[in-house]
Amino acid sequence: MGHPSPYHRPIRPTPLTRRDFLWQAGGGLGGVALAALLGPEQGLAASGKLSGCLHHPPKAKRVVQFFMAGAASHLDLFDFKPELVKRHGQPSDFGEKVEAFQNGLGPWMRPFWDFRPYGRSGKMLSEVTAPLGAVVDDLAFIHNMVGKSGVHSTATLLQSTGFQLPGFPGAGCWVSYALGSENDNLPAFVVLPDHRGFASNGVKNWDAAFLPAQHSGTIIRPGAANPVADLFPGPGAGALRPGSEPATHALLAELNQAHADLRPGDARLEARIRSYELAARMQLAAPEALDLKSEPAHVQKLYGLERGPQAWAKEINEAEETFVFGQRCLAARRLLERGVRFVQVWSGNDNGFPRRNWDSHEDVKRDHGPLALGMARGIAAFIQDLKQRGLFEDTIILWTTEFGRMPSSQGGKGRDHNPFVFTNWLAGGGIKGGVTVGESDQWGFKPLDRANPTQVYDVHATLLHLLGIDHTRLTFRNNGIDRRLTDVHGHVLTGLLA
Amino acid sequence: MAGPWLTFRAFLGAVVAVLGWPQSVAGAVDFVREVRPILEANCFRCHGPEKQKSGYRLDVSRIALHGGEAHAPNIVPGQPAQSPLLRFISGADAALRMPPKGDLLSAAEQATIRAWIAEGAVWPAAADTVLPDPLAWWSWRPLAAPTAPADGSAAIDTFVRAKLAKQGLHPSAPADAATLLRRVSLDLTGLPPTPVETAAFLADSAPDAYERLVERLLASPRYGERWARHWLDVVHYGDTHGYDKDKPREHAWPYRDYVIRALNEDKPYPRFVQEQVAGDIMYPGTRDGLEALGFLAAGPWDFIGHAEVPESKVDGKIARHLDRDDMLANTMGTFTSLTVHCAQCHGHKFDPITQEDYYGLQAVFAAVDRTDRPYYPADATNALAERLQRRQKDLRKTIQQTEAALGAQAGEAYAALTRRLEGMSRTAAAKVGNPTPDYGYHAQIAARADTLKWVQVDLGQRVDLAQVVLAPCYDDFNGIGAGFGFPVRFKVEVSDDPDFRQGVQLLWRGHDERFMADLPNPGLKPYVVSVEPEDAVAGRYVRVTAVKLAPRQGDFILALAELEVRTANGQNVAQGRPVQALDSIEAAPRWRRANLTDGRAPVRPSADELSQLRAERDRMLEAVAAPAVAAALRTQRTEATEVAAELARLPPPAFVYAAGIHTGSGAFAGTGASGGLPRPIYLLARGQVTQPLREVSPGAIASLSGGSARFSLPADAGEGDRRAALARWLTAGENPLFWRSIVNRVWQHHFGQGIVETANDFGRNGALPTHPELLDWLARDFRDHGGSLKRLHRQIVLSATYRQSSADDPRASRVDASNALLWRQQRRKLSAEEMRDAVLLASGRLDLAMGGPGWRDFVLERPEHSPHYRYDLADPVDPRTFRRAIYRFVVRSQTQPWMTSLDCADPSIRVDRRTESVSALQALALLNNGFMLTQSAALAERVSRERPDLEAQVGWAHELVLGRPPSAAVRGRLVAFARTEGLPATCRALFNLNEFAFVD
Repeated sequence: MGHPSPYHRPIRPTPLTRRDFLWQAGGGLGGVALAALLGPEQGLAASGKLSGCLHHPPKAKRVVQFFMAGAASHLDLFDFKPELVKRHGQPSDFGEKVEAFQNGLGPWMRPFWDFRPYGRSGKMLSEVTAPLGAVVDDLAFIHNMVGKSGVHSTATLLQSTGFQLPGFPGAGCWVSYALGSENDNLPAFVVLPDHRGFASNGVKNWDAAFLPAQHSGTIIRPGAANPVADLFPGPGAGALRPGSEPATHALLAELNQAHADLRPGDARLEARIRSYELAARMQLAAPEALDLKSEPAHVQKLYGLERGPQAWAKEINEAEETFVFGQRCLAARRLLERGVRFVQVWSGNDNGFPRRNWDSHEDVKRDHGPLALGMARGIAAFIQDLKQRGLFEDTIILWTTEFGRMPSSQGGKGRDHNPFVFTNWLAGGGIKGGVTVGESDQWGFKPLDRANPTQVYDVHATLLHLLGIDHTRLTFRNNGIDRRLTDVHGHVLTGLLA
Repeated sequence: MAGPWLTFRAFLGAVVAVLGWPQSVAGAVDFVREVRPILEANCFRCHGPEKQKSGYRLDVSRIALHGGEAHAPNIVPGQPAQSPLLRFISGADAALRMPPKGDLLSAAEQATIRAWIAEGAVWPAAADTVLPDPLAWWSWRPLAAPTAPADGSAAIDTFVRAKLAKQGLHPSAPADAATLLRRVSLDLTGLPPTPVETAAFLADSAPDAYERLVERLLASPRYGERWARHWLDVVHYGDTHGYDKDKPREHAWPYRDYVIRALNEDKPYPRFVQEQVAGDIMYPGTRDGLEALGFLAAGPWDFIGHAEVPESKVDGKIARHLDRDDMLANTMGTFTSLTVHCAQCHGHKFDPITQEDYYGLQAVFAAVDRTDRPYYPADATNALAERLQRRQKDLRKTIQQTEAALGAQAGEAYAALTRRLEGMSRTAAAKVGNPTPDYGYHAQIAARADTLKWVQVDLGQRVDLAQVVLAPCYDDFNGIGAGFGFPVRFKVEVSDDPDFRQGVQLLWRGHDERFMADLPNPGLKPYVVSVEPEDAVAGRYVRVTAVKLAPRQGDFILALAELEVRTANGQNVAQGRPVQALDSIEAAPRWRRANLTDGRAPVRPSADELSQLRAERDRMLEAVAAPAVAAALRTQRTEATEVAAELARLPPPAFVYAAGIHTGSGAFAGTGASGGLPRPIYLLARGQVTQPLREVSPGAIASLSGGSARFSLPADAGEGDRRAALARWLTAGENPLFWRSIVNRVWQHHFGQGIVETANDFGRNGALPTHPELLDWLARDFRDHGGSLKRLHRQIVLSATYRQSSADDPRASRVDASNALLWRQQRRKLSAEEMRDAVLLASGRLDLAMGGPGWRDFVLERPEHSPHYRYDLADPVDPRTFRRAIYRFVVRSQTQPWMTSLDCADPSIRVDRRTESVSALQALALLNNGFMLTQSAALAERVSRERPDLEAQVGWAHELVLGRPPSAAVRGRLVAFARTEGLPATCRALFNLNEFAFVD
């Protein structure tokens, strides 16, 4: 604690520097503006514990997280179980009492698609994830992920924020808080939601909670009429003369400066003046970053965008999934390339009828087929594109979902929730490709080694480690607790480090 | 419970810790030389100075010998065989081996430890670590009684100046009148002064002008609206559940209105708190006593974890555990500024709060859930309803007792009749009308009533029909109950073609009344479609097609318990036959196609039959009764009928979303069925619901109230008595945290920072008070003068400390940069709510109507399943959204983006103090959001209407936004801007100025 007396708080003897001020006033400008205010050499400053330098040399500079909302089936995508093929249709026997979310404990059920080996590693991939075969030797699989509950909301929060309750910052918020953005003119943490809407918990998966507000994920909808909220004048803009922005900014700067001159010694006033200058620059930078049409035809084709948007069918379908997910992947690449620190890409919406996510209780083939093909095509293109641009080496790619699905059948064509084991994979900066660091059991029901599963804390610890951050030392005090992304847990997964 | 609170003497006693283990035996094993190095090398990493897994550490003798969660004591001196520690390090139990990974201790090392224990586990005092006494912490101390001037404002200044003088600092000069007016108006009411109010105050030269201003502001209804916002931040109030399927809470707002009303009425603080924890018990029959309970239900609620997962499942247990955790964290955090929730997995790491305390608090809330509670806004009606319900209960009891006595004499015929009646009533009265969990068939949910749905049975062969019977379902969803999902308009058809494209016969009798007109909910009465022999209806498939679905809340469904197809001999040929449908939700076991022909449907005997049997039974009883007893029984029965009738005549009740006994069906059953019996609460090892250790009785924080805080409640105490006991414990005059916590919160919102910077944490991880004497003086004075918040505000805002200028002084800044000593007032940013309200006030659009359901600046999409809150689709000029921001409908999963960018509190977390951030995204929100643009236009329209020429209009806009007319130079600059860019652009610029965004 270090207080000299348990009854009196010492007063601060030395004046605050401007940087101290920024962090003590709840982060000040942080991310976007911090670099501008502190000079580029100090752009990596964060909390006092991390100020000025990282904990250790980083292997990667940026992160993209692909989140499959609704719980993607490890069994039908990445974690091949010959035993299920052999025992298909036989009554399931887990050797213990199992509490499934909807009691979906029918007979063993084989994967809905055939698996084939790919790459030098010979990793088995399903027909619907086959496009990832082209890059499979770059992926490091974790097949022994375990969650804490089979309830979508809490499980999704656990994977996105490290806690089961709402009210904790998303992983991207922590990274933004620690590292800021590489580009003054774009937010540090960007979220690309599913075009159908938000996943379970909505913005709680990426908002800053107790961290300063600017570390919230900024929602961007590539291809939408207004991809970024409030970037340009919204409803009511008709009352403004087109082209009045420069004059408005000049007027604000002048009057605000006069106001600040009469109130010396308050850095917030100056910071707010600068925030308007940055806003103006962001108005130029964001549309440029999101101009997907400026990409050459071969890149459009790589991402499956060559046919452009169509009038899509109402049910989930392959053509639409390929297009919309490819669009998000391409946008992610352009944002990362321009200095965005953390991009979170969602596939699937919250629950609803008809299904619009990975929660295939009724029909795995119907939902997982198109969703997986779209995802695999998009990510395969994304990885190939990063490689040809030299970005792959210092970008971390994380594929995740809230939990897995049961090896037994639910109603013949569906699978119930399986929080007991599921799959994550990583690729890119500092990751050893072509490996598997944890196996599930013969059924894909629980980890093979039940005493040593992998948890989200370990994945987050690894992520921060690769970014040069010790996960136990990136903290923020809230309601009496020094909060961490990894709570009180987490071990770096050394097995997948290159 | 006025428990034995920690007195100052007891406190001193506790400070003197007794440490050290008697050095009785000069054993062969030397602890320091032989044992401790082994522990250090192998155990300290998890059980030492840094980490204490399971609350266990081997560097402190007291804990090493007596502590640890599940297995304490881990070391039994002299008895190695009884010492769990040895079993763990032996590796005998794979699940509990220590160290958990890597090599075990060598045999020699194990032998050393065994020998040390056998010899009495001698631990020399010099080799022990002495932990600081957890009770020796400022906030645990009783309130001190420092001397100060009697006048509160003078007392504040005295304390503050004494601290300043010690550092050679002086208070700043008083702020000028206009600055002070804007400051105190915003602080007390959340609204800036209007130009009229400004002019009046500046012109008022009376010596008590400021005092009168303060009185006016405190008396304004706007005061409650402003300070309720601070309160609702702390209690994490929201109008939706949060989590997945973030459903609206339609009845949360009465609690918000209660808070506003209570603050405006200056309700004594202890009563304010008691009502929020146990108002139904301590102030029965009052509106406030019920609405206040919205506090306990204010936070997020996991709908799926409750509604779809029963308490018997692990996930269901976790959901309910976390639900109680939220209630108790909210209660203790709000009222005592303690972080008790940290003691969930192990004893609190920093504060003297044990796991026993934590689970004792869980036990306080063991019976309640979050639920809509009925009440009457008029206290008289509330009291009447409660009186009638009590009378009804008493009468039932009396009648039952008399009947039981008589029944014993009435013989076997009576007993047989009673059994029959009970069986029938049970079925009829059961809230869940389903004898088994297979409710029936349930089509997928539709957004519109006129969605066509069909379901059919395949009889396997062509059958001559005599009758088709549709049995309704029972489901308590939204309190619908009997007749759940029964179609409002439908037809029944028969065909040999499974697709009903050819040879379709309509069962035409009654067709018009059920197909062309709305059928009222039939309850559980089966609906019979008759077929006469002359109709000659035959076919293999019988299909029910609904063309108008049954309403739920905001969506529409079709559900049927059973479809019977009877032949002339009465046989049901549909039973067990396959069912096809256009769609089905297939949520086994309750809802699936197969349930439609499983032969099971909720049943209810006819009311006639029941009443006839009852009358018969009553006659049998009276026949054996003495005349006086028979007469009394008749009188009681008559009164019971009257009471029931009177209850039925009461107006429909209002609802508040609050803590209460919930009676539900399915997974979310609540404790209503058991009459609100508290669930057993266990101390959970590591907070895991799968590892209950022992049952815990209700209580509070033992170390705060002299070592014991279990509530000694009588055996027949109801669950509410637990909450009442906690409320009394919290609000006791001796509870130092309670009084310090609230005065610190009020202080914080007047000076930007509390005397204790961490208003939600007075523990060792929190900050220390800058002015401990002042804090205790304020707390004591507040307690001793009725807990009046308005009096406290008055003391603060009338002080010279509050009224000083916020200007910087470089000399003072060098000494105390954070202004902890208050050598000046703190310049602050407007909160999101103040910003919104001030914009509307300036534009002339602010609607000051108070109370009622929250206004919505979003369009609700897909409410039937997972609602989407589309702020982007809302109309920014909808006048319903022009009310004060406190009345906004607060969504948890999708927080209002504009408000959020301005640091609005996150309704999912308990926020004691908002962050103040500055960012480019915030600038964009203030420049470009539809609300800002349309209100800029509205202000432009207002000033054009109210002033004749551009110069006057620009000046008037400046005055409306900033509270003062522009200087000549600025006026010229604004006029020039307005000439080229227009008035709306000018107003927009004014709203974006630093001068508007900050309060000096």
